[in-house]
Parts: sequence; C-alpha cells; structure tokens
Amino acid sequence: MSEMSSSEHDSESSILLHLPPLSQSLFDAEPSDLQQPNGSAARPSSDPSSPTSSGYAPERGSSTATSVSHVEEVLSNEIQEITIHDPQPLSHSSWLPGKRHGDEDDASISWRKRKKHFFVLSHSGKPIYSRYGDEHKLAGFSATLQAIISFVENGGDHVKLVRAGKHQVVFLVKGPIYLVCISCTEEPYESLRGQLEIIHGQMIVILTKSVNRCFEKNPKFDMTPLLGGTDIVFSSLIHSFSWNPATFLHAYTCLPLAYATRQAAGAILQDVADSGVLFAILMCRHKVISLVGAQKASLHPDDMLLLANFVMSSESFRTSEAFSPVCLPRYNALAFLYAYIHFFDDDTYLMLLTTSSDSFYHLKDCRIGIEAVLLKSNVLSEAQRSLLDGGMRVEDLPPLPRSGSSHLGQHRVPSDSPERSREPDCGVGGAAGLWHFIYRSIYLDQYISSEFSSPINTPKQQKRLYRGYQKLFASMHDKGIGPHKTQFRRDENYVLLCWVTQDFELYAAFDPLADKALAIKTCNRVCQWVKDVENEIFLLGASPFSW
Amino acid sequence: MGCGSSFPDRDSRQFGRPNTENGGGQDARNLRVKLVLLGDSGVGKSCIVLRFVRGQFDATSKVTVGASFLSQTIALQDSTTVKFEIWDTAGQERYAALAPLYYRGAAVAVIVYDITSPESFSKAQYWVKELQKHGSPDIVMALVGNKADLQEKREVAVQDGTDYAEKNGMFFIETSAKTADNINELFEDIVDYATSKLHHDVLAA
Repeated sequence: MSEMSSSEHDSESSILLHLPPLSQSLFDAEPSDLQQPNGSAARPSSDPSSPTSSGYAPERGSSTATSVSHVEEVLSNEIQEITIHDPQPLSHSSWLPGKRHGDEDDASISWRKRKKHFFVLSHSGKPIYSRYGDEHKLAGFSATLQAIISFVENGGDHVKLVRAGKHQVVFLVKGPIYLVCISCTEEPYESLRGQLEIIHGQMIVILTKSVNRCFEKNPKFDMTPLLGGTDIVFSSLIHSFSWNPATFLHAYTCLPLAYATRQAAGAILQDVADSGVLFAILMCRHKVISLVGAQKASLHPDDMLLLANFVMSSESFRTSEAFSPVCLPRYNALAFLYAYIHFFDDDTYLMLLTTSSDSFYHLKDCRIGIEAVLLKSNVLSEAQRSLLDGGMRVEDLPPLPRSGSSHLGQHRVPSDSPERSREPDCGVGGAAGLWHFIYRSIYLDQYISSEFSSPINTPKQQKRLYRGYQKLFASMHDKGIGPHKTQFRRDENYVLLCWVTQDFELYAAFDPLADKALAIKTCNRVCQWVKDVENEIFLLGASPFSW
Repeated sequence: MGCGSSFPDRDSRQFGRPNTENGGGQDARNLRVKLVLLGDSGVGKSCIVLRFVRGQFDATSKVTVGASFLSQTIALQDSTTVKFEIWDTAGQERYAALAPLYYRGAAVAVIVYDITSPESFSKAQYWVKELQKHGSPDIVMALVGNKADLQEKREVAVQDGTDYAEKNGMFFIETSAKTADNINELFEDIVDYATSKLHHDVLAA
C-alpha cells in the first residue's frame, strides 16, 4: 500500500499538536451547490428518448424534476432564512433529492467547480455512477480514473490517495468496482474513504455482491441499467454525509421515548420475530423506535443506515405497503432478503425482513397485528410527539451532583433563574458555553446527539460542525498515531472537545471563548445526564447487535 | 436480464394464499381477483393503479421499488363486487428476474406500455412472451397503451396494439392515468373479459 502523497499525515498531526487556531480553511464551510451561479442555469431535461422518461414534462423518471428544481434553487436562500427556527435541526427544504446538474460533464466549468464528486466505475473504466453530470458523458473521465488505478496496480501497488493542490482524490477498489471521491472539502482521508465504503454498501443493498459475477462473465458489462431509478438513493446517502453522524460514527440512534412505550413496541416486535421474521425494525425517520432480531441474527448499524436510507429515499414506499428484495451487506452480502415495508404515517415505518420470498401475506398479517398494538399503546402518537419535542437540549443540562431519577426536559431552567445566571459565559446555548454534543455508547453501538442550539442553527453551520466532529473522530481513531483519550481544540468557530473511554465517546462543541476547565466539567455533567436518561434515549437489553 | 442469477428463489415457491390461487373467489357475487401489472419503467403502471385505487394522479411520479401491494373493491352493474388485489411491480431491469414472485398465482396480468415509446411496446411484448412461457396457462392478459392523452407524441399506433393483442388472445385498451380516461373501464372490462373467457369454475363458483 502506498500513498502518493505524504502530506496526508501532516494535516492530521496539526490537529494532534493542539495548536490553535487552525487555519481558517480547515473549517471553511462547503458552499452549498444551490449557491453556485451555474447551478441555476436552465438546462434541458433528461434524454427524452430514454425508456425511463415518462413523457410528461414535470416528471422526469430517475432524473427528478428539473424545471421545479430551477425555481427552488432560486428561492433556496430565502427558504433558509425563514427556516432558522425550524424544529427539525436540519431543514431539508433546501435540499432536493435525485440527481441534479444532469446535463453537465467534465468539460463544464460548473462541473469542475463542484466541491465534492463521487464516481463509481467498473474495472474496465465504464461509468456506473456520478454524483454530478450524466454518467454516459463521463466515459472519458472514467477511463482516466481507471487508467490511474490500473497503472499503479500494474506496479504491484494500490493507489489510495492523490493530492493535487486543494483537492484530494481518494480511491477505493472493491473487486471489479472502483469508487473515487474528488474533494476539496478538507475532510480527512479516512472520512472520505469511509464514505466510499458506505456508497459501495448501498450498491450491495440494491444488487447484492453477486453483481460481481456479471463482470466475470463480461468484463465490459454495463452496470448502469441495473441501477436504473436509484439516483435518488445515492444522492440522499451522499447528502446524509453532511447531516447524519451515523455515517461516520458507525452507530445508530434512537427516537427518545418513555421506557414503557419503547418496551411495548419491542414486545410486539418480539412476538413477530418468533414467528419466523428475521428482523423486525420500527423506525421514525432515521431513528430507531425498537428492533428485534431472530435468534442469533445480528444487525450492523451500517446496514441499518443503508436500509433506512434506501427506504426513506424511495418515495414509492410511502404510497402503499411494499415487498422488495434488499441485501444487508454486513449480514450477508451475497443474498437478498425480502423486506415488507409499511409506513404508518409520514415518519414512522415498519420493516420486516425475511429470507423467504413467499411470505408477503404472512408479513402483512404481522403488520396488522403490530399496528393494532402500536395504536393501543399510543406508540405512534408518542413518536410524533417525540419528533415535535426533540431530544436532549444543551439548555436543559442539569447541574451536578445528580440525585434521583431524571427525565428528558425536566430540568428546563427559565432563562432568568438564578441558577442559570451563576454560569459564567452562558450566553446562548447551554452551561459553560456548551453548544452541542454527541455521546456514543460503545457497548450499545448507539449514539445520542443533542438538538442544535441557537448558535448552530443553519444547515451550513451544522454541516461545518459535523465536519469538525468527523475530523476529531478520524484523528482519535487513527491507528498510526492513536488511540487518544482526550482532545481539546479551539478555533475561531468553536472549542471541540473529545473524550474517549472504554464505554463511550463524547464529542462536544463549545463557544470559542469557553473556559477549558469549565468545559471539561460540563462534559462530566453531560455524561451523567446521558446515564440518567439512558432508559429513554437508548434501546437497552436484548440487543440483537453483536459483531 | 443482466444479473438474473443474483436473485434467489426465482422459480421456487408459490406466491400468494393457497385459497386465492388463480384469483378465484368462492362466490359469484364476491369475486377476488389477483392482478399484476408488468411493463417497462416509466410507462405509468403506478399511476394507473393510483388513479384506480385512490383517484389520484401525481405528475412527479415515484420510481417503484420491488412491488407495491394495493387493493380496491368495485361493484359491477350486476351488483357483483370484485376485490382486486393488485401487485404493482417495478419496471427496472434488476427486478425482472423477480417478476414470477408477483405474477405467479395471478388471475390477471396487465401489461402496460407507453404509446409515445416504441421501446416500451417491445418490452410489453417481452412480458407477453415471458408469461406465455412461464406463467399460468389460465392467466388472463390485458395489453394497455397508457399516456393516451399524449396524442401528439404518439409513436405506437392503436392498430399495432390491437393487432398484437388479438394475435395473442389478449384484452386491449388505451388509457390515460393523467385524465383518468379508460382507467375504471380497464378494470371493469377485464373482469367481464375474464369471466367470458375463463372456465366457469375458475373465476365464478
């Protein structure tokens, strides 16, 4: 294994030397695509001769609505302004699913200016997927990427990373499938490679790994038709790299719920699992309400991420109950499972997975039974309420020492209370300038992320914070120079504090002026708080997770 | 068919309840018909079903994943009620090998093409051949030319559809899910067509 640049570690070591302030560019937010002047240029819709195109102007098969997106792109700045106090931490109103800029190719200036490209190509250089632009027009570009990979491989080596000025080119070879990321976002190599791994996993969810056999039979096999209509799945996944911590934490998160409510859901799912269902998963958006696996069956958090993304991004599942083959790459990358999918409402959905292709009617009956129990125990309405209420808020952080049991939201202190004014540097956010935190339980493989407080309330700021966390995660887990136990880093945007123990990892963001000793004390309070409410924020016991 | 080999179980088990085999109900006044829609992606299968079941048309069509299951009950003029159990299958190539899962045990197969797309008409003929080869010999097939509202873009003549359907013993109709034209007729007439075509003991008790 060789790296074509040695500067990769230089950037990492600058983090670990704790030398604030880091250069501004390190945390430069990636300007949204929507603000690209070229992005709003009028462009023709997808090829009208394509068999997937519907013939109706506003619905363009897999390539989504181009004329609509034009209008929304123009409006997007205003939309972002208005949604600052949106209860959802990340307003999705400014993000449009599906492939955009489908008319671009490598000759377009707008295409070249995109901050982060993802490509998938075959070992013969045939394009399979491109985040931007039409795959078929990028055949020459794909061939170039393939040439780079095979040139190095012919020398008995593998290319992992190429640095060119501000750009990093990250390569991942998965048998006959090559994945490449070209990015000038300053994300660490490990993060980008992890994102390529996840993209490859999503491909396996849709096709299984046995797609590799097609390349054995015919090296020039064209894989694009097999992925027809899945642009939206990949664009949604790539979008989640900037808002969903599960993509780098390799853990899942639960919807905060009263312990009894989650227990009620778990009990009925367990009944179903005992009747021959492999996995029964009840989710609300990307958060788990409860899940149960058949004996000895274990589910990896990455599989859950990919499954949830697949289901959430495919609009047709919301229309009616569905039965679809899916593959869980970490469970068995070679075979399909069959998923019964039903949305109880806009947000809450049930996935029942089985190995048997003829069990639709059985699973449908299971769902009817589950739905009756969920309604009776108010699980669905509680889930909706939890969505509205949100999860842990830094403003509610209870003071130490703790005594007795605690509940979410119980400690909301009025802003004029004496308790709050005792805290120095309180300002906005929580105690001691705490703005946000993520707590990952290593034993449970679950994480809890606080709601975003007012200093971090635009998608752009949130993306920047996640990029900061990702960098922390990568440096804390760097095998070459790690592992590390704590890290305290200050720049002009915030103080980032990371604390890793055998049981948990804590990532916290503070006001850039926060006091170090106070910040550390606050982290202890956060950990205690998480322990106090773990019944409500985590799925405990009888976990089918093991790996 | 690309990676057909990657789909297991393609020719094993029967799909559906044993008592609804071939879609036959027990009572002439209460029929249950299992129906499957097949055809290329983007021809409007889901739009036809959603127009029929919910009376809706959404121009921003969603790509179907796997297959969606919907049901709708209608009353015929002779006061017979027919409950349709509809499998709306995905048109994408990767799902082609899975189609037997959904068409096995179906009484009616509705094969849809887009009158503005000759490719989709060829794909419809592929499905007809597939069903003739691997489907139940009793299955009633309907050929449907959808998007009939797009007359100015028409590339498949009505006569081509009629001729092909006649040659293969199929029911034929052109529809528009957008304008709702012939949608209810499709489902009502297919029952009439099936009852007259099939043996008495298959569809009616």
